[in-house]
Amino acid sequence: MIFGLEFPPIENLVEWPNWFGPKDSFYGFNKIAFISLVAIVATSVLFILGNRKRSMVPKGAQNLVESSVAFIRDGIVLETMGPDGMRYLPYLVSLFFFILIGNIFEVIPFFHMPANARMAGPAVLALITWAYYIAVGLKHQGPKYFINAIAPPGVPKALYILVVPIEFLSTFIVRPFSLAVRLFANMLAGHILLVTFSVLCITLFTASLLALVLPLSFFMLVALTGFEVMVAFLQAYIFTILAAVYIGSSMHAEH
Amino acid sequence: MLALVNVFAEAAATDVNQAVAEATAKNPILPVMNEMFWTLVFFAILWALMKFVLLPPVMRTFKERADKVRDDQQAAEAADTARVDRLEQYEAGLAGARSEAVKLIEQARAEGDAERRVQVGAAEADVASLRTEAAAEIAGAKERARGELTSSITDIAVGAAEAVVQKSIDRSAQVSVVEDYVAQAGKN
Repeated sequence: MIFGLEFPPIENLVEWPNWFGPKDSFYGFNKIAFISLVAIVATSVLFILGNRKRSMVPKGAQNLVESSVAFIRDGIVLETMGPDGMRYLPYLVSLFFFILIGNIFEVIPFFHMPANARMAGPAVLALITWAYYIAVGLKHQGPKYFINAIAPPGVPKALYILVVPIEFLSTFIVRPFSLAVRLFANMLAGHILLVTFSVLCITLFTASLLALVLPLSFFMLVALTGFEVMVAFLQAYIFTILAAVYIGSSMHAEH
Repeated sequence: MLALVNVFAEAAATDVNQAVAEATAKNPILPVMNEMFWTLVFFAILWALMKFVLLPPVMRTFKERADKVRDDQQAAEAADTARVDRLEQYEAGLAGARSEAVKLIEQARAEGDAERRVQVGAAEADVASLRTEAAAEIAGAKERARGELTSSITDIAVGAAEAVVQKSIDRSAQVSVVEDYVAQAGKN
């Protein structure tokens, strides 16, 4: 109870029971897993519709698919990695759509839960990205990648005492952690905000004078819903562009 | 004593472990294994689909469109070059036709001048011939008139003399006198 509001416990907002599978099993399928499944189904359906009647002048689903891919290709891959990064486009497009659709479920009626407001999704995606950019570094630079990553050439030797631990922490520890936490925290915060104003609206929907404040609360709920749509897109973009930057930085030794 | 400490220590450890376990189980921030598993599985599927099934047609469309744009641009540039060539050919043809026309005009003018000169020459010759004929006719007419005049004057003079002298005068003898007179008068 906060200022008279009956606010649900946090675990009630983000934890979902399994639809099938034992409670603590590794394959228990719940709402979050279902949203992840919808993410691949929706992305696949969108691309299949877009690829069904390909024409030189795109329309409808083809236009949406091509605009999205062109946005990631021109705005992320070519900007951060150049033409050499085109081979990583499938990974980055998958990442973008998987996160975006997972996020957008925050405002979809009857779901109202972003998959990335749970730490599992962002953590897995961050770990895959972490493994991926290390693999790219090893592929392009060989074992010297680790040396180049933590001891960039051109730095005065005395500074290596400071630079090596900082670069090690930054590149191999902080990057995946910050990737995961940024996405998770933003989506969780947005989810809690929407829940808060929803609860406020329900509480104010009474026959008392409190009902006078209801329009304000409802307006905030609508405005925040729109804001969360933007956040959903923005967080997908940020995660994808950071993944591209990390992969791009692994392709060549830093100067 | 030591056993008592161990008992307490074990009890404390058990409490701590339980507390940690409860906190971990209830902590909504920590990732849970089943969600990680499904995220990993579904993302891996999406990545594979994207790489092998979903994205290649889009990239092919991009490539075909870029090729078409490039081909159309090249065709437009070729058409433009052809247009410029054709224009140059047309202008060269036009200049040739112009010079040919000037040449023909000059040739026609020269031919016209030559024809005119021939015609004028012929006309002048005709005129001279007509003039000669006319002069001859005039001379003939003059001669005839003079003969008629001489005859008339002779007749008048003889008639007048016969009237004056009241006798007949030999006309043939007077003709030469009158002719001399007329000839003399014509000279004066």
